[in-house]
Amino acid sequence: MDRLYLNKTAKYLKPVSEKVYNEYISKQEKLVNLMNQKMLNREDIGELVGKNNLEMMKDNHANHARFMASIFKKFEPQVLVDTVLWVFRAYRSRKFHSSYWAAQLSNWIEILKQELSESSYMEIYPYYEWMQVNIPIFVKLSTDDLESGKSMH
Amino acid sequence: MEDCALINDFKYKDFLLALINGDRKQSFWFVDQYLKKNISVKELYEHYIKETLYRIGELWEQNKISVATEHLATAITESILNSLFDKIVSENRLGKTAIVACVENEYHQVGIKMIADIFEMNGWDTYFLGANIPLQELVDFAKNKKPDIFALSLSIYFHLPILEKMITNITEVFPNTPIMVGGQAFQHGGIDVIQKFPLVKYFKNLDDTESFIKKIS
Repeated sequence: MDRLYLNKTAKYLKPVSEKVYNEYISKQEKLVNLMNQKMLNREDIGELVGKNNLEMMKDNHANHARFMASIFKKFEPQVLVDTVLWVFRAYRSRKFHSSYWAAQLSNWIEILKQELSESSYMEIYPYYEWMQVNIPIFVKLSTDDLESGKSMH
Repeated sequence: MEDCALINDFKYKDFLLALINGDRKQSFWFVDQYLKKNISVKELYEHYIKETLYRIGELWEQNKISVATEHLATAITESILNSLFDKIVSENRLGKTAIVACVENEYHQVGIKMIADIFEMNGWDTYFLGANIPLQELVDFAKNKKPDIFALSLSIYFHLPILEKMITNITEVFPNTPIMVGGQAFQHGGIDVIQKFPLVKYFKNLDDTESFIKKIS
């Protein structure tokens, strides 16, 4: 399973409605704050993100929410795949552990379920499920890219 | 750094190293040598500088250089562009004006500075507003200057909704003024978002940009 598989499966995700997008951006800041709190409360946070990387982690959460909002506004499967891969490369090269993404995505799902209306959550959840189930592929592809010293820019 | 393939395999390795070492003098010297080969400024921008900056972005991505080094390299590059103004400004002025800016919240302004220079090379007067221009400020400025065209740059994909909002607002106030759009964000998608606006055109490189400028000049 490789990049082609990611591209193919991402195309099955359905664009979210404008109503859902509007609800998401209206709650975006709160979602990011909750996410930061949740991650910072973890005892294993140092192992997950590496030394002196807490500010970078918070940047990632803010950027994650901005990026997902842009995807909810206009879904581009290729952009989703390329960007998630870029994030894996950029943060793993700064010593974020691969298990950070499993922890992060589980927390996003919990927070989204808690904060969004049920109908909005149901539309957004498949994106998170897709990212979650494909973590091993993102880890493998980003490892290959980093080891070969290449970039997919 | 010595064993880094991203550096060693790069065709403009010497210039790249001068930039990431913060060696302003050497960086200027390489550009000077390049221009002595009768390469145009546009080609210098499109290949030598653009490709080197993209490579610097990749080096950051792989944690081979720090944010500080990336900013240093960008600052030197901007000073190189500014130093070339005498070479790019055309004697033949057309009396047409372009307002050139980055989308609100965008800080990557080298690419759009190159676009401003392409306008200048073709006899246009440009107002280069640079990075992170608030939408209302842009509109207020434009009401005063009454430009013949806008040019906007988007580097980060998640700012696409902001670009869309900017285009919508500009179009409301200036319904007949074309808007050029470009930038690295469009490498992976997003072009169809702007194509719904009849007077908005996307340009992927400086050649296409210049062809269009010549057409409307």
